[in-house]
Amino acid sequence: MARDLAIDLGTANTLVYMKGRGIVLNEPSVIALNRQTGEVLATGREAWQMIGRTPGYIVAVRPLRGGAITDFEITERMIRLLLQRVGVSRFTRPKVVICVPSAITEVERRAVTDAARRAGAADAQLIEQPMAAAIGADLPIDEPVGNMVIDIGGGTSETAVISLGGVVALEAVRVGSFDIDAAIQNYVRREHGIAIGERTAEEIKVAIGSADPIGDDSEAEVRGRDLMSGLPKTVLLAPEEIRFAIDDVVSSIVASVVRCLAKAPPELAQDFLVRGMYLVGGGGLLRGLAQRIERECKVPVRMSPMPLEAVVLGAGHCIEHYDALKGMFMGARR
Amino acid sequence: MTAVVVLIAIALVVGVLAFIVYSRSRQPEDGVASFRRHIDALSPEARREVIDRVQNARETGKGK
Repeated sequence: MARDLAIDLGTANTLVYMKGRGIVLNEPSVIALNRQTGEVLATGREAWQMIGRTPGYIVAVRPLRGGAITDFEITERMIRLLLQRVGVSRFTRPKVVICVPSAITEVERRAVTDAARRAGAADAQLIEQPMAAAIGADLPIDEPVGNMVIDIGGGTSETAVISLGGVVALEAVRVGSFDIDAAIQNYVRREHGIAIGERTAEEIKVAIGSADPIGDDSEAEVRGRDLMSGLPKTVLLAPEEIRFAIDDVVSSIVASVVRCLAKAPPELAQDFLVRGMYLVGGGGLLRGLAQRIERECKVPVRMSPMPLEAVVLGAGHCIEHYDALKGMFMGARR
Repeated sequence: MTAVVVLIAIALVVGVLAFIVYSRSRQPEDGVASFRRHIDALSPEARREVIDRVQNARETGKGK
């Protein structure tokens, strides 16, 4: 008998929580395929290392982009492989709770649950990422007080107000940390005339990226391909340049937080001033982001203790208390 | 004979009434109970086990 599972199917990473055990898998949501035969060559970390470095016959792709499923068939294969890796087979049929962006369509919901069922799940239920994040961030969502959680993932940023175990207000934008990487790539191409890959852009973001001035002026050396000569070239990038490059993306995330605050009932809105808002997700780790949101919203912003694992922890809790919490699943509320 | 029929009819009516009263009294109680169960399952105490489990695994991983 397989143990029940909770899956955070993120644009950037996929995490799997096994009932009674904890997190058993944490890997990039990437799959490498043979372009000619369609055969799966690698998944997870191994496939991630291939991005931008593959020969013509191999393609390393992220089946989710902007919080949406870009390729149903590949997503289904990825879910199946993930479940197989944690011991699910036709004979061991666990219950599965999958975290998905709140903005996914009915067709995408069905694709995800069908994929999990076909991969061997006895029952597959979906839960909205911000709800799971609030549970995993250890916020007092069982109380009649306003809890605000900002989940910044690879492809989506979702802000939710939660009270008494339910979502009161929600705002989602299909913008996340991959858009920050893309903005860095575009800036370097436009201003310095060199092409860099998405992994290099991510490294720049981690090294010197910030959403607000943080008093660090160390520069980063970046290597790429000169667009004019085609030769390798090195340039120095300053933190202000990166801040300028990513400002549009950061501004749209902050604007969505402001919109969510505006949707909150006044009784709950006053709670935020005391309790603050909580940042979760990998995108929340961008330096100066909490400071920027705090400055623009005039509400304290705190970082969740386990920002990368909060969503799967929340879903894991739902799988541990499946019967009591099944009312939270997406299908149950419609 | 008539008395028996009347008694059966009364018993049926009483039975139906008792069932209606019982099901009406149960409905709100079920809602209250299930909401309570839902809220209790979201309490920090209920969540402690999962969070501690992952935190411990994380600390053990760091220690290695």
